[in-house]
Amino acid sequence: MRVIVIEDDADAAAFVKRVLSEAGHSVDVCGDGESGLNKARTGEYDAMVVDRMLPGIDGLKLMKSYRDGGGRAPALFLSALGEVDHRVEGLQAGGDDYLAKPYAPSELVARVEALGRRATGDIPTTRLVVGGLEMDLLARTVTRDGQKIDLQPREFRLLEFLMRHAGQVVTRTMLLEKVWDYHFDPQTNVIDVHVSRLRGKIDKDFERPLLHTVRGAGYRLEA
Amino acid sequence: MKIGRLPALVRTTTFRLALLHASIFVLFSAALLAYLYSETAVHLNRQANAELTAEFRQLNEAYRGGLDRLAQSVRERSEARGKFFYLLLDPDKRRIEGGLDMLPAAPPPLGQVFDVRFNYNARSIGGELTRRSAEGRISRLPDCVLMVAYDRGDIGEMNRRITDVVWRSAAVGFVLSLIGGVVISRSAARRAEQLAKTTEDVMGGDLSRRAPVFGSGDEFDRLSEQLNAMLAKLERLVISSRSAGDSIAHDLRSPLTRLRNRLEAGLQDTNSEGPRTALARSIDDVDGVLGTFNAILRLSRVQAGASGSFKRTNVSDITDELAELYQPVCEERHLKFNYIHQDDLFVLADKDLIAQAMANLVDNAVKYTPEGGSVQIEAKRGANGDIDLVVTDDGPGIPPEDRERVVERFVRLEESRSAPGSGLGLALVAAVAEAHSGKLILSDAGGPPERPGLAATLALHAA
Repeated sequence: MRVIVIEDDADAAAFVKRVLSEAGHSVDVCGDGESGLNKARTGEYDAMVVDRMLPGIDGLKLMKSYRDGGGRAPALFLSALGEVDHRVEGLQAGGDDYLAKPYAPSELVARVEALGRRATGDIPTTRLVVGGLEMDLLARTVTRDGQKIDLQPREFRLLEFLMRHAGQVVTRTMLLEKVWDYHFDPQTNVIDVHVSRLRGKIDKDFERPLLHTVRGAGYRLEA
Repeated sequence: MKIGRLPALVRTTTFRLALLHASIFVLFSAALLAYLYSETAVHLNRQANAELTAEFRQLNEAYRGGLDRLAQSVRERSEARGKFFYLLLDPDKRRIEGGLDMLPAAPPPLGQVFDVRFNYNARSIGGELTRRSAEGRISRLPDCVLMVAYDRGDIGEMNRRITDVVWRSAAVGFVLSLIGGVVISRSAARRAEQLAKTTEDVMGGDLSRRAPVFGSGDEFDRLSEQLNAMLAKLERLVISSRSAGDSIAHDLRSPLTRLRNRLEAGLQDTNSEGPRTALARSIDDVDGVLGTFNAILRLSRVQAGASGSFKRTNVSDITDELAELYQPVCEERHLKFNYIHQDDLFVLADKDLIAQAMANLVDNAVKYTPEGGSVQIEAKRGANGDIDLVVTDDGPGIPPEDRERVVERFVRLEESRSAPGSGLGLALVAAVAEAHSGKLILSDAGGPPERPGLAATLALHAA
């Protein structure tokens, strides 16, 4: 993926660049809002990482102008202001995701990659397939190798999210935010327990596991 | 009163009001007395005039009997020593009869009458000569001139006295009002000064100072009470932020020390776990520290005041989701899980905050309840119309004497030091409760004395 990072803090920008480059993405860095906006408008990028506080034009305004100008690349806001209100502001301005500093590198990579996937998958899908695992979004049924799997509604949403991001790492925080819509960290391993229950249903009687644990980062569904 | 203080006193509002009040008082009483004076004087003059007219009429009647008849009548009246005295002159101004020596003015033309006011010397009973004022009426008759006069001494005296009284009472009233004003002003100034002194002391760093309240319920008492309430809140905040600062330093010292030791060990080749593991664990330590900072920030935001994001919310929807989220965790830890709820429990609330507070309570219950125990979430209408969200466990519970303390920042009971957590969980729940004007109530869950369990109730106002 080609990613543009608009961040005025040089250290923070270098960190983002290194983390994303190590994950195999090509990264351009811009130190201020104006030139960042101009660069983003060239349409060469698959995703944007934008700091909320920028000199000149701030992140929210930048995002609005970019969207008003027809820019469609998905964007991730980075901010020290990790509160729900600010998150909502960021999303309303046209951002697609919001990550509060400080964050783990794996979290950043997972979220940027999730953005890239969303951009390419604009056509509404009714059917998700990962290996032998199939999900029918209309009938709300799941089968693996033709064998029907019964899921609770929440398990269904969890699996849907994992399948939509198949091959990517999804973090626990992402799952809590996107599947449960909670924006805080529980002190107990609630997400792990739910994932392991789901794993019990989709992987248990099959030779090859699909749902993998990525140590120190989260989970990945992969054929 | 010291001279140096006078200007300050004069500057006070109360004193100025007192001065104004005194002036108005004097003005009014002067007007009242002036009215009284003029009424009295006019009445006395009128009465004297009427008597004079009656006297004149009688003498005129006597004159119809001839000059001799008139002279006789004048003589008789003079000898009677009444209120009036008389003078009867022939056309050549020679005295025919009467007690007066001469006319005080030239007589009017024939057939006319005029009044005259004059002074004369009178001999008092003691023989002294005094100058007195008199009013007389002179009439020119065909063959004589008649004057009847009366002494105005009494009326003049009366007028003088009334004038005196008017001036004196005005002066006394003014002085008295002024003194009253000064007294009131001084007491008010003293109260204001006490308030000023209190705030000065507080600014000087003594946060325990309070303004005096006298129980009179007046404006100054109310002001003092408000000020004291504000100071109490300030003091609480300062103390809590001071102790929070201490706690933060204290709480972060051990993970940071651990982190430092681990990094140092990672540098040495003799380390058994190897540099990669040391780094991975260090990251875990740093994450723990960052987690604590995030929790502090979140707590501060909640405590700083509720945002405008409060909406009418069905909290049983929140507990439904939480029950669904936590049930598997409980089962995995071999805890019996129970969820009881009533429907349509509406509260004016921030959904995220309530969810987070409840998650903290359930996290605690799960963490501290030993295997085989039970955890219960209950959402119900409470006794006094409140909405109660109750998380109950049958773990070790919290001793009654510690219940107030544990909701403060960074307070962790000794028994729980080993368990993971920042010591901010219950503080956040309490802050969320306060932000919703609700309460966090901790009580025994009714288990046996050695393991009473804990019932944590988030009591919110129904909407």
